[in-house]
Amino acid sequence: MGSLRAFAVSLCGDKERADDLVQETLFKAWNHLDSFKEGTNLKAWLFTILRNTYFSERRKRRREVEDADGTYAGRLATHPEQHGHMDMQDFRAVLVRLPDDQREALILVGAAGFSYEEAAEICGCAVGTIKSRVNRARNRLADMLGLSEFEAVQANETLGIIKTA
Amino acid sequence: MDRDSNKKDRRRNMAGADKMDQARNTSGNPPGTESDGLSPSLQAHIGRHVRAVFDEVAREPIPEHLLRLLKDLERSGDK
Repeated sequence: MGSLRAFAVSLCGDKERADDLVQETLFKAWNHLDSFKEGTNLKAWLFTILRNTYFSERRKRRREVEDADGTYAGRLATHPEQHGHMDMQDFRAVLVRLPDDQREALILVGAAGFSYEEAAEICGCAVGTIKSRVNRARNRLADMLGLSEFEAVQANETLGIIKTA
Repeated sequence: MDRDSNKKDRRRNMAGADKMDQARNTSGNPPGTESDGLSPSLQAHIGRHVRAVFDEVAREPIPEHLLRLLKDLERSGDK
């Protein structure tokens, strides 16, 4: 349930609407329980319903959504280039600026724990499409953050030292 | 040290990926480590942050009204 919420937040950008979305998803899932096949991936099914619900609502309320996204991004606006290191706030601000399909693919595969194939099914596209979206998302993030190889290696090494167990 | 953290991250990236995904991957690389112009360190770095942002919400306690909804749904199913 937690990751469903987190995915919802990544889609619509604010927690209240995300929770509304999760609520609707639960209702829909419950009402369509007969269409869910035993033994198949429940998590993926729920994610799919949530995603479809989000996009069909968005089609109906285009302008409202654009305003919401703008506010969210505006609230988080920081200037990553000014910081010596990258913190969560910076990263979140930049994540929001990714194109929707790239952010979604990156989150499904990189954070929600789905395989490329599961993500492809959830998004209703080819596996190759998901892969290229993930790659593009990563490259875009690296660009936007001005991440250098040096910083990344430093960060990894620091963690390596801390995690030595 | 660097190699270890990379391996760990790669394993985590693959944790969600099915084992069959490995076999079916056309390029022959394990998922998450496609050569996309980014070094493994950069990928790991970015991956960590993506997960951190996601987990921040995922680990929050579920809001009361959603928990209640789940309970109500379960109860209505039992009738």
